[in-house]
Amino acid sequence: MKTTPPDVVHTRRSLLDYLLGLGFIGFAASVFYPVLRYLKPLAAAGPGGPLKLTADELTKLTHEHSVITRLGTGRVLVFEDAQQKLRALDARCTHEGCTVQYVPGDSVIWCACHNGRYDLDGRVLAGPPPRPLAIYGCTRDADGSVTVIPPKNSSES
Amino acid sequence: MSGEPESGGGVFGWLDRRYGLKPLVEFMRHKEVPIGAHSMVWYYLGGATLFFFAMQVATGALLLLFYQAGEHTSYESIRFITTKVPFGWLVRSLHCWSAHLMIVSLITHMFSTMMLKAYRPPRELTWVTGFVLLTLALGFGFSGYLLPWNELAFFATAVGTDSVKAVPGIGDFLLQVLRGGADVSINTLHRFFGLHVVLLPLATVGLVSAHLLVIQRQGMAPPLGHKVAPRGMRFFPDFALRDLQLWLICLIILTSLAVFLPYGPHIPGIEWELGKKANPLAPAYPGIKPEWYFLWVYQLLKEFPPHFFGMEGPQGALLLISALLGLWAAMPWIDRRAQRDEASPGFSDIGAAALLFLGFLMLMAWDVGGGGDAVKLPDPQQSAHVCALWALGFAAVATALRALFLHQRYFLFTGATALQIALHGLAGLSYLLAAAISLAVLAVGLLVLRARGQDRSEVKP
Repeated sequence: MKTTPPDVVHTRRSLLDYLLGLGFIGFAASVFYPVLRYLKPLAAAGPGGPLKLTADELTKLTHEHSVITRLGTGRVLVFEDAQQKLRALDARCTHEGCTVQYVPGDSVIWCACHNGRYDLDGRVLAGPPPRPLAIYGCTRDADGSVTVIPPKNSSES
Repeated sequence: MSGEPESGGGVFGWLDRRYGLKPLVEFMRHKEVPIGAHSMVWYYLGGATLFFFAMQVATGALLLLFYQAGEHTSYESIRFITTKVPFGWLVRSLHCWSAHLMIVSLITHMFSTMMLKAYRPPRELTWVTGFVLLTLALGFGFSGYLLPWNELAFFATAVGTDSVKAVPGIGDFLLQVLRGGADVSINTLHRFFGLHVVLLPLATVGLVSAHLLVIQRQGMAPPLGHKVAPRGMRFFPDFALRDLQLWLICLIILTSLAVFLPYGPHIPGIEWELGKKANPLAPAYPGIKPEWYFLWVYQLLKEFPPHFFGMEGPQGALLLISALLGLWAAMPWIDRRAQRDEASPGFSDIGAAALLFLGFLMLMAWDVGGGGDAVKLPDPQQSAHVCALWALGFAAVATALRALFLHQRYFLFTGATALQIALHGLAGLSYLLAAAISLAVLAVGLLVLRARGQDRSEVKP
């Protein structure tokens, strides 16, 4: 039988090295993929649709002109402007995610963290926020209760 | 330590026969710390940092006996520790004070290393492991901040975690992984708790070991210009005893502060009153500030406009911060003069300029001179004006001292930083416009220096 030429031996070794390398990558992937999936939280479940304010929230809204409520995984600021019109905006500042507040005296929405200011339609007036606050629907029903409706293109997850 | 290691009896002999300890003892007997024209005080800061870290481990272990992570237990258990457990207030106070002092000694240690160019070859990895330890220490601070589950913790974490979404591509994934959900919740606390008490301590112990190992292998850096130190101090017992004495002093300072100011000095960013329990549905309160060592980041986030070169403001700010930290980590490779064991006055000046840059941002973050009270907010422009005066005053004094006592003659970077402060604080330009003008002036200055060949002037580091 003819002996194998040296370059064929070399090729076979290279192939084995290659397969071994592939094996290591496969091994690493099989370790890291489950870990990464484990780390990523499950999609949160919560009422994402229209939400009625609770009695406590209504009382707070009446006394303090504003209340922050949870809708799905988000937070919504419901407030009553100077004309007693009910409005609702995303309560998370678009800058760094702090919770904003309604300042009735100045008729602005203000974030205390980095001094961002928005008008009552959520548009940025001053400070570092890069985007406007999302507008939520808000209606007062005949029985006095208040319903908050997420925007149509809401990307709450 | 000074005993003759040849004795065959006793515990040492028993261990030596099994594990061959003599070479180790010989190594320790001959270990020396370089003495030169420089002050030795900078050699002790790493030891002081290690001492405070040990205090963190000890007090942290004690806190763990009572702390219970959970929506209805985190805040309550900390309150129980500080109000009911005998000396619980002291343990928590020691933990908090020691954390702050550790950061102080760590930062001083890094700046002194930079000023003395101790990062130059062959000690690049000592610097890099030290840099990673700094990031771990900041991670400890950030993750520990959330654990009391109070109002301050909630918003500090909301802001701090929100900034990772600026990372291109995987920002959203990172945000979710950090928070354990879309928003900061008790899931975030559980994750941070794991980081704070398991992952970060393990990583720190590993890296500290590596850091100490390379230092033991190479010895401490001799003064610039001396490949071999002219003379040395014996590490055992001379230097070790001095180290021990410093640790005692650190302990006295730490316990005094912990006993007399158990909730910190009541300066925003250096206080740990428990305050109100976190309420995700409460708005952020006025005057909210992060820890003092994150104040410069906080202020930069405020100074960046909503949009910056096609990026959102926070993205731009984070890019700048990452770039600055990256440059800081790469110092041993950037400073080519120090690589050749030559004086590199420019890099000493970069260190001084960095302190000025950070100091000005910190003063502004504290709204120094901005007025304001419970009703009225501080005026940022007025504050910038007063802070600029303070910062420029400090810069003038520091520069005079550097010129007089250290005979330094290179002030280009400090000058550019001072110009930026003056343009922003005194002339009223926006922070970034002032920075752009100062950078342009700095670039011209560097080009002129290069053209004149003056950057080769012999100046002490």
